[in-house]
Amino acid sequence: MAVAKLSGKAVGQPIKRVDGIAKVTGRARYAGDFDVPGMLFGRCLRSPYPSARIVSIDVRKAKALPGVHAVLTGADVPDVRYGRMCKDIPTLAKDMVRFVGDKVAAVAADSVEIAETALELIEVEYEEQNAILSAEEAMRPTAARIHPEAVEVFPGAALGVHGELRMYPPIPNVISQLVAKHGDPAGAFAGAHKVFEHSFAVPSVHQGYIEPHTCLVSIGNDGLVDVWVANKGPHIARAHMAATIGVPENRIRLNPVTIGGDFGGKGSLMDTLLCYYLAAAARHPVKMVMTSFEELTAANPRHSASITLRTALDRDAKIAAIDARIIFNAGAYAGFVPVATLHGYSELAGSYRVPNLTVEVLRVYTNTVPCGHMRSPGSPQVAFAVESHIDMMARELGLDPVEMRRRNAIADGDPTPFGDHRPHLRCRETIDAGARAFGWDAPRVADIGRGISIYEHPPGTFGKSTVKLTAGADGRFTIQLGSPDTGTGFHTIATQLVAEHFGVPVAEVEVVQGDTLTSGFEAGASGMRLTTTIGQAIADVSDKMKQQLAALAAERLNCAPADVRLGEDGSFSASGTRIDLRSLMGWAAERGKAPLSCNGENKPGQPNNLASFAAHFAEVAVDRETGQVRVRRIVTAHDVGTIINPVTHQGQIEGGLIQAFGQAMSEQVVLKNGAAITAHLGDYKLPTIMDIPELETVLLPGGSGLGPFETTAIGEMSNVAVPAAIANAVFDAVGVRLVELPISAEKVLEGLSGKTGAT
Amino acid sequence: MRTVRLTVNGKPVAHEVADNRLLIEFLREDLKLTGTKESCGVGVCGACTVLLDGKPVSSCLALAVHADGGALTTIEGVAEGSRLHRLQEAFLAHGGLQCGICTPGQILAAKALLDTNPHPTKAEIQHWMMGNLCRCTGYYKIIESIAAAAGVE
Repeated sequence: MAVAKLSGKAVGQPIKRVDGIAKVTGRARYAGDFDVPGMLFGRCLRSPYPSARIVSIDVRKAKALPGVHAVLTGADVPDVRYGRMCKDIPTLAKDMVRFVGDKVAAVAADSVEIAETALELIEVEYEEQNAILSAEEAMRPTAARIHPEAVEVFPGAALGVHGELRMYPPIPNVISQLVAKHGDPAGAFAGAHKVFEHSFAVPSVHQGYIEPHTCLVSIGNDGLVDVWVANKGPHIARAHMAATIGVPENRIRLNPVTIGGDFGGKGSLMDTLLCYYLAAAARHPVKMVMTSFEELTAANPRHSASITLRTALDRDAKIAAIDARIIFNAGAYAGFVPVATLHGYSELAGSYRVPNLTVEVLRVYTNTVPCGHMRSPGSPQVAFAVESHIDMMARELGLDPVEMRRRNAIADGDPTPFGDHRPHLRCRETIDAGARAFGWDAPRVADIGRGISIYEHPPGTFGKSTVKLTAGADGRFTIQLGSPDTGTGFHTIATQLVAEHFGVPVAEVEVVQGDTLTSGFEAGASGMRLTTTIGQAIADVSDKMKQQLAALAAERLNCAPADVRLGEDGSFSASGTRIDLRSLMGWAAERGKAPLSCNGENKPGQPNNLASFAAHFAEVAVDRETGQVRVRRIVTAHDVGTIINPVTHQGQIEGGLIQAFGQAMSEQVVLKNGAAITAHLGDYKLPTIMDIPELETVLLPGGSGLGPFETTAIGEMSNVAVPAAIANAVFDAVGVRLVELPISAEKVLEGLSGKTGAT
Repeated sequence: MRTVRLTVNGKPVAHEVADNRLLIEFLREDLKLTGTKESCGVGVCGACTVLLDGKPVSSCLALAVHADGGALTTIEGVAEGSRLHRLQEAFLAHGGLQCGICTPGQILAAKALLDTNPHPTKAEIQHWMMGNLCRCTGYYKIIESIAAAAGVE
């Protein structure tokens, strides 16, 4: 059998989304669109205090309300804590509440209205405690412990982490402390020509998925637990659910649902455990849908961060060493993320040649909304700091910001800041392509500013992807996947990859999402992994399927399997005789040998030695009277591998870029006395269709990939570094340097009024 | 409680509803038309947009009784049988959707635009669609999709 070569008949084509027709006709079914007979509605009562002791809870009136089937408090559910890495999230608060929005009690009733009325009848007496609202305050030696008891951590917290990781070190409220060092930073600082130090603050933002967290749990008479939940990784969710509620994994079925946006925010169980306990107590299925208010005040938004960077430069403005301190405010619980610390630190200055480095990363509890993962966790915070810092140094030295980056750009042969080696680094090429398209060298115009930022990110190769491929008696293929398409288009590209391997039209390939009982394990969308991991699994299963088909064809054509060739049109031939797939499978079916099925897997743990680069260029106009910043134009340049579907690929770039634009310009989870007060979508400002700047995308094809056909990731390349490009452009326009996001008119005006001293 | 009589996607419907029944509850729960989605619940995001007598309405804010005597169009009524509306075709071809949760609202809002202004400019499309949030696409491909359906550049 021939090894699959890229024909481009399926891979590279703008195939329409496989889930598209269902989505444009309203037939796609999201978790909230399912209901089951006898279903009740669950709601929960949340803490009004950021920190308090629960003195007493009286639920008698709520229980007596007609239409109420179950009322639960912390005393009614097992004291087993849940978490994706750190197990610290109670199903319902016991004794203590740790943030405004912590769940205290829950009700299942005939209607949402009855459930909400019942919540109002629950009487809770609290004893308010001093709340710890900032990470710096939380780490003081005298600070009270937000989690005084020991927190269990899954094994493997240090896997894939650069440097030395300490979980729950002896610093108050610190979840994890990571210290990484490469080279001789002390020596480099001692011999530096110049040293610069700047500090930055990046507030929390919300993932902004339009579909709220939703779950429906139904416990069958046979004990099978059926779940419909908006979760991006059903197999992992099931494992965590089983471990927490004490039901075997193979008695829990997470059913396929369509996901209404994830962006990293839908990896946790959120209300699913509570929903299970309500269903068990009420002996009815229960559905829980978070309100928009709950989503924006008490879900799991991006971590806020404060970051200090100190950099030593040599006489040529080349980086000699960087010393970084990154503090992530995790809020009240650590368990919403599947890692010890956020991976963003690992891309610290990844675009640059940094011979000496020290990094300290702290993740810290506070009495604020618990934080989770969001599209490239930790990276936008770090990139805003690094890309502003680089710009500030260039400006102080009188160097052009593009030249500063070109001079320091990592290139083949350079180690990464953490001392790894990666081939085929196209950082400078990406910068140059973007700068050309943008017209960086064009003459300048008053009050119009230009800014650049760059970014590096490797594709994800971690976690298991398992697929099942079936060749039917009709000669059509079905590829079964174990996790939902959160919107990225990965179900669609799976069909293209199968079609490409076999040389058949994409329309001959169906994709099905299995439930957790019938599908193979799939770790789900995370860390730019799926294109690579699904690609590898599909290559594996295709090889196996080709062997089976070749054996069949050999039997049909009376030859040895080794003599069978797979043609570019999906047919099989041997010594001049040809048979197409449909005829072959029809022949096999008559003999009881069809359909054929086999399973394929990726290669988890494969060394991840590739990196992709992005360079963003922003042009802004600043109104000196109001401080208003208008982003007129963005050019985004990307170092890409083989593009499987140009429409979904470009959709990832554009969607990510506008998320970054929102973070830059308008989005912020505003906290007041520990409570999130940007509590509805009128206050929490997502970008609208009116806000978007003119956009030009530049693609540099020819990059390497770890997926078959040199395919690689794109999903987290455009949503990370853009805010710094805009901030740098604001400085270029009016000399105001913003070291804190978002870039509000108020901050710019403040900078303009005190401008004489602005750096 | 009162009886509302209306047409939904061209079919006559008579249904008893509570005075405070929201239009979206009536559609999703009483009529099982779950293509209409609820998100913000306060009329900001546009996910719940339906057409009442051809005009876009936030069904999370309107009461079912407001639709009495009217003609409602939901996403389930946009295609003619298996023949997709040109907007649906354009959203598919141009990548105007990803996760799809806002798509019913986007398509209905766009339909109301094209029904009254068949050849809108890009600025008119943006102005009209301002009330429909999308977190996946960054909007560029939504503009492209609507422009393509309208046959304008």
